[in-house]
Parts: sequence; C-alpha cells; structure tokens
Amino acid sequence: MTVDQISSVADRPDAAARAGRAPAVGGSRTSMTARRHRAFYMFTSPWIIGFLLLTVTPMVYALWLSFTTFDGISPNWKYVGLGNYRELLNDPVTWDSLGRAGLFALTSVPLSIIAGLVLAVLVNRPIKARGLFRTLLYLPAVVPPVGAGLAFKLLFDQNSGASNGVLTFFGFDAVGWLADPYARYVLLMTVLWGAGNVMIISLAGLQDVPRELHEAARIDGASAWRTFRSITVPLLSPVLLFQTVTGMIASVQTIMPLLLAPLGDTSGITTVPQSNYLYMMHVFAQYFALGRYGYASALLWVLFVLILAVTGLIFKFTSGAVFYNVDPEAKK
Amino acid sequence: MRPHAGAPLSRRRFLSLSAAGAATGAAALSGCAMQVSSGVSGSGETVTVMVNSGDILPEQVQQAKKDLGIKIVLVKYDITKLIAMLTSGNPPDLVRGVGAVDSPFFAARDVAEELDPYFSRSGVLKVDDLDPVNDLWRFDGRTQGKGPRYGMAKDFSQDSMYWYNTSAFDKAGVDHPSETEPVTYEEWQETAKRLVQRKSGQTTVFGGSYGGLTRSTLLTTMTASAGGSLFNDDFSRVDFTAPEARKALAWYIDYCKTKVGPSLIQPDPNGWDGPTYQAGRLAMSNSGYWMGGMIYPDKKLAEVSRLAPAPLFAGGTRISACQGGTGLWMPKKAKNKDAAWRVFEWFFGEEPAKARAGGGWGIPSLKSMRSLMPAQEDAQKRALKVQENELKHFSVVSFTPYTRADALDALFNQIAPAAMNGQISVDTLAGRLNSAINEQLKRGKEQVG
Repeated sequence: MTVDQISSVADRPDAAARAGRAPAVGGSRTSMTARRHRAFYMFTSPWIIGFLLLTVTPMVYALWLSFTTFDGISPNWKYVGLGNYRELLNDPVTWDSLGRAGLFALTSVPLSIIAGLVLAVLVNRPIKARGLFRTLLYLPAVVPPVGAGLAFKLLFDQNSGASNGVLTFFGFDAVGWLADPYARYVLLMTVLWGAGNVMIISLAGLQDVPRELHEAARIDGASAWRTFRSITVPLLSPVLLFQTVTGMIASVQTIMPLLLAPLGDTSGITTVPQSNYLYMMHVFAQYFALGRYGYASALLWVLFVLILAVTGLIFKFTSGAVFYNVDPEAKK
Repeated sequence: MRPHAGAPLSRRRFLSLSAAGAATGAAALSGCAMQVSSGVSGSGETVTVMVNSGDILPEQVQQAKKDLGIKIVLVKYDITKLIAMLTSGNPPDLVRGVGAVDSPFFAARDVAEELDPYFSRSGVLKVDDLDPVNDLWRFDGRTQGKGPRYGMAKDFSQDSMYWYNTSAFDKAGVDHPSETEPVTYEEWQETAKRLVQRKSGQTTVFGGSYGGLTRSTLLTTMTASAGGSLFNDDFSRVDFTAPEARKALAWYIDYCKTKVGPSLIQPDPNGWDGPTYQAGRLAMSNSGYWMGGMIYPDKKLAEVSRLAPAPLFAGGTRISACQGGTGLWMPKKAKNKDAAWRVFEWFFGEEPAKARAGGGWGIPSLKSMRSLMPAQEDAQKRALKVQENELKHFSVVSFTPYTRADALDALFNQIAPAAMNGQISVDTLAGRLNSAINEQLKRGKEQVG
C-alpha cells in the first residue's frame, strides 16, 4: 500500500464518521495534502533521524576535526585551518595509496561483476539441483569478512598453507603469497570469493527479463551470445549500474588487506604489504596507530568528495547506456 | 510566519524538527552512555574495569562481590573506546596498560591518577614490598622510572630472554646455550642459522624468533644493551644513526633478512610463538619466564625446554629489561576512586595475585609473593633458578612520553620491510626512521606542552 493509498483510506467519509468527526464536505485539499505529508514523514522519520544522528553528525564532527590537530587525548590540540588538507596534498603515501585503491577498484569491480553475472546466468538455467548450486555459490558471501580473512591467511601461509602444500606436492617451490608481489592476487581472490553477493542481485535481474523477448529472438534466429548481448545485458543495465556504483564505493573502502596483514594489533595496519596498502589502510593507520584524528578526518573527507565525484561521473557517462524498463502506462 | 494549526508540515519544518529531535536524542544517548558505562551505582559499590578477557575471570568477579562487596563491571580493553571514554569525561575506574610504554604516555597527558597517596595508606600494598618492575609505572614529568606512581604491574618477565628446545639443538648437532652466562646477539643469530630447517622454499623449523614485545621496546632495550640510548635526554627525538642504535637496528634487520625466524617479511600465521614452539617448529623463542605457564603442563615439552639469559652485544652491558609490566592504572576522572583502589589492592595483593603467582605465567610484582612461584617439577625448578639469576640484571629502560609505542611500531613496520628485503641499506633505513619518528615525536611534544 502506498502512502497515497494510506492517506486516502484514512480520509474516507466513513472513517471520519467512525472517528466522530463530520466528513469534510467537498474534501479540503489542503488538509488532505497535510495528512499525506505527515504520513510520509512519520513513516520516513526513523530513517531521517537515524541519518541525522548517525551519519550527518559524525560527518560534521569529522569535518571539524579535519581542521585541528586533535589526537583524542592530548590537552594542547589546536585549530590549523586547512593545514591537514595542505599536508595530504604533499604526502606521497596518500597519493600512492589512493592510486592503488583506484587501481584495485578498476580491477576488482569489473571482475566481481563479471564473475557474479556468469554465475547468475549459470544458475538461472534449468539444471538439476539448481537450488543447491545457488546456495553453495552464495554461501561464501555470508561468511563474515574476519573469518574469510583468517581462512585466507591460513590457506596462503608460506610455510604451512594448503596452497603451497599443493605446489610443493607437485615439485614446485613454495610462494610467499601474503607478501609482495603476490599479496595483491590474494586480495583479488578474497573479493571474488564474495562474488555470490553480485550473483544473487544479477539473478534477480535476470529473472525479471521477459521470457517472450528471448523466445522472439530465438525465433528470429539469434544466437545465444547475441541474445545475451542485445537483450539480457540492456535489460540488466540498471542492475549492473547499481553494482558498479556500490562496488566502487565498497572497493575503495575495503579493509580486507588489514585482515590479511601479518600482525593483528593496531600497529599491524602498516604491516600490510605495499601492494595492498590502499587508501583506507592509510586512514586507519593515521587514526588508530598514529592517533592523528585531525589528519585522518581530512583524508576521509577527501575520499568522500572523490567518491561523490566518481559516482556523478559514472551516472553521467552511463546515462545513455542504461535502459530503464518503465511501463509507460504506469507513468500516466 | 508561524504555521497555523492543521497546516501541512513543510519539509523545512520537518527537517528542523528532526534535527532538534536528533540533537535531543544525541544528548539523551550521551547521558545514557554516561550512566551505563561509568558503572557507578548510587551506593558507590560498582567499579568499571577495562581489561582484556582473561585478565579478570568471571569467577573472580563473583568472588570480589562476595569478599569486597563491590560489583566489578568488566569492559573489553580497546584503545579507541578508552580514548572516547576519556574524552567524554566518563572513563572506566581502572584500565589495563602496558607499564613499559603506556605509563609515561598517559601520565604526561595528565589523565592518570597519581597513586602515591593511596599506596601510603594501604594495608595491602606496601611500597617496600613492590618489585622494582613497578618503577615502569613511575613518571616524574620527564623520565620514566622516577617520580610518582601511576599504576602497578600484575606480573612481569624479562622479555629479552629466550626459551630453547634441546631436541632441536641435538638434532642439528649444536651445543646447548648456557643457562647462566648470556650469549652475544651475534652468537644467537649464528645458532639460529644452524638450527633453521628449510625445504622447497618453506621453513619447516624456525631457527629462532627474536621480535621483543614490540619493535619499539625491542630496539630501545637492544640499544641500551649496546651501551647507548635510542632517545635523546628529553625523549623528544630518536637517533638510529648513533653507533649503538645502528648496531641494534642492523642486527634486527639482519635477523629478518636471513629469515631464520618469524618477522614482518615472514610472518608466523599463529601470531605468537606459543603454538609454533609447542609444535616443535621453533628452536628458540624470544619469550620471557611467562611462557613457562604454557610449557609446564605439557610434560614432554617441559622436559626439552630450557630458559636462557638475555643475550648481550659483544662488549656491551648485560641488561635484562622488562618490555611489558602489564597492569592497571586509574584515570584521573574515575568516578569511584576509593572503591577502585580497593579493587586495585585486591587484584594486586590478594587472591587474584596469589593465583597468578602460582600459575607460572609471570614473576609476581610483589616481592612477598615470590615464594608462590611454581617449583614442584624439575622443569619449573630449573627455569626458576635461571630467572632468579637474571633478576640481578633487571633495569628500567625509559620510553618516550610523546607517543604510543603502537605509533612507533606502525612507522617502523611501514619503513623497515624495504631494508629487510634488501632494497635499501641499514643507513638509509636509519635516516628514514629518524625522519618519520621524530616528526611523530615532535607532534606529540607540541600536544603535551
């Protein structure tokens, strides 16, 4: 039931009569609009209050901190204006980690979307035990990241990990997977490990593609690939756009490298191998290891602005390529 | 214009009302947090203690309630949470801390309560009875080890010592180290090279681990052992290019480079030496007396395990410092100081302290409890003898008050792997460490004032 429907039910003359009120003769348009607005805001208020309290307030607080040298505990912190922002512009670690985060997003997002889509297409086919396959493929996505990180650390340990056990069994030398230059591949594997999330969303999108379009294409003699390219992908484009945007935001904020780091304590943040030292690792190190709350807040605000800008660019450049299947009759 | 009754609720008005609601909610939440997390009941019989799980057991909490009439509320130790609680003026009544590195940091920021007046009137904790390790919890405004007391160690070890597995030595045909005379660091590393076992690019048995409790405390104590000091007189700068500090740094980088033991570039997935040593995959473990607590219950392991004195540099001073001295301190803004002190006395001087002393997981921090240290089995007697001899060489190696050890470790962890992998020289590393760490110390000094 929509908000409008709720309002109109509440505004019925019989409802008003039961409430002991005189029915609004002719119906006051202003009153009805007010009720609709009130109902709308009543329903959305838990989210809005939560958003103000738990998102806007910390963000504003972090913005204030970004202009200070606050370290959480010392008495003589001070206001430094744009000092932290100037410092980050000249901090090579910031730019290097940002570059790595961008590269990671450019690699991991397409890979996980493609992997998820391929899996979704496979489990959308009428095969035996389809439900079982769907469950098995989705299962890794429900494993908590901390557990997955620990499992990957043990799996890829140089001296006792199963991956090197296989290599040495076949006569190869063991590889230091969790150190440079291999650590980046392990990180990518952890991302693909969670491709079940993408699969489930793509699967929902695939099931929304009208079957008659596929049948028509088949009658017209289109190949499976042509059908997929010209019918499935365009109709899935809003889903793919959604996954691109959310995947990009999640990938630049990933903390997975920390879970694969040699040391698990606060100072362990910087034991992350160089190739996995992404922007959020730098932020974590500044906040929790070095206690530089002001500088770390500035780093976060810069990331926030960059994410907004990149998201805007994605929307701008994909506006012509995304097909929204809107029923024209419903718009009337 | 004021909206009239029944007028539609405009978006602007709604958002302003929401903002006001949110602000009120925030204040209410803050108030609730203050009431809940302070743990102070009206009668003043509740004490909030921020510790790691296992520091105070649930049954001890029950016992305290029975014996002291005080309810202990345990909060899991988390530095971020602690800072948030301190900042909001709502700290726990007692907090876990590592004496060797935390005490000057918190004392210099004036957030720790000076405990001398409490000690002077205590019938349980007598200053004369305090082991010298408790000096780690003293700070005179400039130097650790002097001045008022801000906390106390629950127990301790001399963390430059090491345990070794005689089977691994016998298998490699290497003579056992002396249990009374220290080897040099150079000899220790040579021995580790002979003990390490590798196959197909994998290390099947580590020759030895040597990482200290933290990289900061390791390098500070090793520099002291080489006869120098990592910090300048007012602890506001480090100098890794000074001969003694460079010697310590070069040794540690060499240890990592040769991959004879776990390090940043060859991590042990267990995260600590215990399971690896127990599995016979580590011939020498840089752990103090405390690891006996893990070794003694395993009879086979106890039979082949020996404790050895802390190594020293050739021509250097024999120093065997404690790099931990973990204990409790009381925040200055604790709400229930008298009850907190009573819990402090109970934790350090009564049943929990006696239980710890008998467990073998550390040396008691009260001299009067030394007699409770385990000495029934041969392995226990042997380790105790070595430990008693080592205590003669105990000294406090002061740490800087201007930053947390975590920060120095984080900087070291970030810069040093390049040297461990042979990409930069030790001298280049020393210069880079000086630059990054001194910048951090400078910021800390400005903030402490």
